[in-house]
Amino acid sequence: MSNLFVRKATGMVRSWSVFDAFIYAFFSINIVTLGFYSFSQMYFFGGGMINALVLSAVFLIFEIIVYSSLIAVMPRSGGDYVWMTRIFGGGAGFILSITGWWFTLWLWTPIYGDMLRQFVLTPLLGVLGQKDLALWFSGKGTPLFVSTMIAIAFVSVVIALGMKTYARVQKYSFYAGMLGLLIIIIMLFTGSHESFKAGFDANATALFGASSGAYDATVKAGTDAGATTPISGGTLNLVFLTLPWLVFFNLWPNWGATLYGEVRGATDYKRNFSGMAWALGSVTVLGIVFFLGVSKTIGWDFYMQGNGAWWNYAWGYVTNIPPLPVWPYPALLAVFLTSNRLVQIVVILLMSFWWFGWAGTLFLSSTRVIFAAAFDRLLPEKVAELNSNGTPINAMLLMVLPAILVSYLYAYNVGAAADGTGGFYTVTLAATQGIAIMYFGTAIAAIILPYKKKELFNASPIAQMKVAGIPMITIAGVIFGGFLAFLLVEWMFDPWLNSGGEGPGLYGISFKNTWSIAFLLGCYVLSAIIYYGFKAYRKQGGIDMDQVQKEIPVE
Amino acid sequence: MTTIFFATDIHGSDICWSKFLNAGKFYGADTLILGGDMTGKAVVPFIHQGGDHYRVTLLEQVYDITTEEELKEMTKRVRSRGYYPYNTNPDELIDLQNKPELVHDIFRAEVLRVVQQWMDLADKKLDGTDMKVYCSPGNDDMAEVDEIIRSSRRVLLVEGQVTQLDAHHEMIASGWSNRTPWDTEREEDEDQLAARYEAMISKLKDPHNAIFNVHVPPYKSGLDEAPELDKDLRPVLAGNSMIPVGSTALRAAIEKTKPLLSLHGHIHEGRGSTRIGKTLCINPGSMYEQGTLLGAIVKLGKNKIENYVLTSG
Repeated sequence: MSNLFVRKATGMVRSWSVFDAFIYAFFSINIVTLGFYSFSQMYFFGGGMINALVLSAVFLIFEIIVYSSLIAVMPRSGGDYVWMTRIFGGGAGFILSITGWWFTLWLWTPIYGDMLRQFVLTPLLGVLGQKDLALWFSGKGTPLFVSTMIAIAFVSVVIALGMKTYARVQKYSFYAGMLGLLIIIIMLFTGSHESFKAGFDANATALFGASSGAYDATVKAGTDAGATTPISGGTLNLVFLTLPWLVFFNLWPNWGATLYGEVRGATDYKRNFSGMAWALGSVTVLGIVFFLGVSKTIGWDFYMQGNGAWWNYAWGYVTNIPPLPVWPYPALLAVFLTSNRLVQIVVILLMSFWWFGWAGTLFLSSTRVIFAAAFDRLLPEKVAELNSNGTPINAMLLMVLPAILVSYLYAYNVGAAADGTGGFYTVTLAATQGIAIMYFGTAIAAIILPYKKKELFNASPIAQMKVAGIPMITIAGVIFGGFLAFLLVEWMFDPWLNSGGEGPGLYGISFKNTWSIAFLLGCYVLSAIIYYGFKAYRKQGGIDMDQVQKEIPVE
Repeated sequence: MTTIFFATDIHGSDICWSKFLNAGKFYGADTLILGGDMTGKAVVPFIHQGGDHYRVTLLEQVYDITTEEELKEMTKRVRSRGYYPYNTNPDELIDLQNKPELVHDIFRAEVLRVVQQWMDLADKKLDGTDMKVYCSPGNDDMAEVDEIIRSSRRVLLVEGQVTQLDAHHEMIASGWSNRTPWDTEREEDEDQLAARYEAMISKLKDPHNAIFNVHVPPYKSGLDEAPELDKDLRPVLAGNSMIPVGSTALRAAIEKTKPLLSLHGHIHEGRGSTRIGKTLCINPGSMYEQGTLLGAIVKLGKNKIENYVLTSG
């Protein structure tokens, strides 16, 4: 719209910077925290990692189109919750969104805690010469629980500081983290495998007390663990099978998107799209560069063997502590290329910003959803109260207290068999599954939007975006929804589809995993109880919750 | 018990105004309050290309209109977003580009024409009903709007007044805001706002049962969180940095007077409710561009709020 015909009025702002939007999307698909963590766990697949990265990015572009389009039609509205509620009506939006944006984040809490110790505490203590404490933090049970409590404390401080402060913390963290990653990549591309091997043996012993010959022992332990995942190649079928695990890392380019401002035309739509798409593209390229660097210096097979050795132990398949007695954090492996302690400390510190700049995402979105539900009177008014410092203390408690319980179950692997396998620790991917189910609801909402809300769509900035007469949002919704359906089927029917009905399958969260199913069902039942319970309660007070969400007739 | 329906910031949307007038019956409310910012922000030129052909650019999408039916549909679509269609031709468009001050006159004429239409519609729709409708234009509404509202039989202009809503509740109202980066029609410094509020509060007979219908939300209430802007009015950090922009004078007035209820708008993304002391503060937010009327139903009891809920209609 020409500025000539726009008058000076409140809120008539200029477009936000694509680069800023890029940073938030880039941090949401965090190549270090989410990326390194999930790549590491994917040691037993047959599809190539580079192929999987590229293939997943192709599908996720359609996720970006879906979210950019929904933001264009209904900006600043509250995201998935409002989109689904307005397009489907009823409680579907509430139940899916409350589970996806709030309850599922309880499960993410110990995962953030695990990452804190693996990415920050253990490696930092190691390079600082605190071997015993470093080894303690990498242990099972209490160390994970303690690390999670530290993570909760940090994230609570973030909430108390508010988004204005944390948004800046994120931006500075982006630059610090990128500097650290750049150093790592340079080290990986300039080092040699021989120097890495020597550095690995020397540093594993010096920093973490590993027995001599840790490199060769790791090769054996990893091979025994079944480390097979190639850097590239594999049949299309095998590559597809890696995706349900890989999306733990990159399903989130849209995470901060619902905060983007008013969309006043195709230009703003493109800004939204570009911010997220550039982030997805950059992270994908960065992932490939990282893999190539690993392959050159660490050696791809050794990287996967190190991962296999660690996770085979962490998941309880073997009881012997791996030769390198800490998680093989790629940044740590890279700094093994030098014996200069100061360089090691600086690089590990810089890399820790990937966690600190990202961790606030744990409770920030949840707090918003809790507030939205309270404003809709589907939670008590008290939960949206701010204390005298402006901190949403009650909403935080609704996040923190259940998260502590879930973290306890996770850290102490409640329900594990006598041999240490199974238990609540196996439900890691359910954290992705819960949100993917919500995204699936949003994808369906996107598909039907142009037909169910015709006037709304026709008066939107994407009304003319069509392919062969079919709205782009519908096409993108079908592709993204189809991809999510594939993921959901794979996760749910994993043993039947992938291992003849035996074992945990590839992803461990199928219908055979009682903990995973109980967690998800528990979340949905709880959100349904809240929705229908409060609806009935408000009705007693003279408020019909269906009526207050219905469209008022115009005539 | 009095049941009020409050909505705000409908910014010229015909759909939202019609819904507002129907909301009383729809939600079972007996009093309708519009919080301000009734007028739209943009004019959309319909450029005559000869014959029945018009070219319209809406949200950076170009539409070629070739039939009467399409013209009607496009007019409705533009009005649904609160924009003002303006029939013009390529020659006039060049004139307007050379003399942007003329666009101001077009804006004024269109804004006032639509407000008049709205008052006519209200008079027609609400005649024969007991529905009470109160309105106080907001900081984006030009002064001339007041006269048109005053001429309405059914919509009462309450700016700067104490209004007796029922036997127990009085309402003060103001659409004036604290300073904004846009230098809008009704904005002033905090000390001037404080004096404006005090002039009304001093006339209240029962301040603790009063309702503050004030367009701007109180400072740091959570209802006043807006994207932080840089000097070029560009949201910083992709809109992720939200800052409080409400009125400190209003917050002080609420803390001192402790009214029963406080109703606000101004910050469209600030939808929510909160308490300052015991005062319930509500900002229903605004989604006028999508033709959705956000609002709040509040059931007023003697010395207390019986119940309330935010609506999305």
